[in-house]
Amino acid sequence: METVTTVVSSARFEQGLGYGDFLADAAVNRDKFEQNYENPVLTEEDRLFFRRVSELAEGPRRLLAIAEPWCGDVYRELPTAVHIAECAGMELRVFLRDDNPDIMDEFLSNNGKSRAIPVFAFYTADTRYIAHFTERSASAHAGLALAMDEARAQLGLPASASFGNLPSSERQVFFHEVVSRIEPHTEQWRRDAVKEIRQLLATALNLSDAA
Amino acid sequence: MAVQNEIPIVYTIRGCDSCTKLLKKWDAEGIPYDERRVELSQATLDEARQYGRLVPIVVWPDGQVEQGFEDSFGCMI
Repeated sequence: METVTTVVSSARFEQGLGYGDFLADAAVNRDKFEQNYENPVLTEEDRLFFRRVSELAEGPRRLLAIAEPWCGDVYRELPTAVHIAECAGMELRVFLRDDNPDIMDEFLSNNGKSRAIPVFAFYTADTRYIAHFTERSASAHAGLALAMDEARAQLGLPASASFGNLPSSERQVFFHEVVSRIEPHTEQWRRDAVKEIRQLLATALNLSDAA
Repeated sequence: MAVQNEIPIVYTIRGCDSCTKLLKKWDAEGIPYDERRVELSQATLDEARQYGRLVPIVVWPDGQVEQGFEDSFGCMI
């Protein structure tokens, strides 16, 4: 049998910050966290789902978030995790990415190359791992890729053009074109993240669907 | 935006790989710079956002602005 080792023990989990302490310590973006908390994307059906799964014997009772206050994806998505924890009675603990590299190393993305945040990892009451969500929804990743394709077409750039291989002046124009295309979709992508989290939990808990 | 700087200003974040790579390159090349860490204060973050969204953000003495370094699209500020 494969032995799974993790640095996220019950004792370590309990060392994480409560959301209130995370926010109180945040030097930046408190207003954006508060705005997104006041503008929740969870539907009543979502809340019922999270309550239901949290009541399962092996269901999620602990939610670990890896975050940094400066990060746009974090101030958009972490308030959603707070709502999930609140509605389902889960214990939420926030760990700063750059103070907790050993925890971050367990959730690397992009084939182990990226320390993308936020990470939301769900655990049982005795801190056994269930599932985790990273950074942003699949639709957001796809939307970003599409925005880059459209921006290349708009600017007459080759398909191989990227932030890394364009001259500085063209890179800035390309960046602005991409951002202008993704910003109208960020609210939908927040809603899509909830659907994705539901699906991740449903799959991990062998539920027939995420409803 | 009026810029009065003799050396490039670079807005960075702790733990940002692209920022680290850029500063390592400049250190190796002996390029002096004024590093401003955006995660340390809202005022610095707001200052950086006047120029862009993707760190590192470089403001050159002639006013030219660059965002990002190499092939990354990580967290935006």
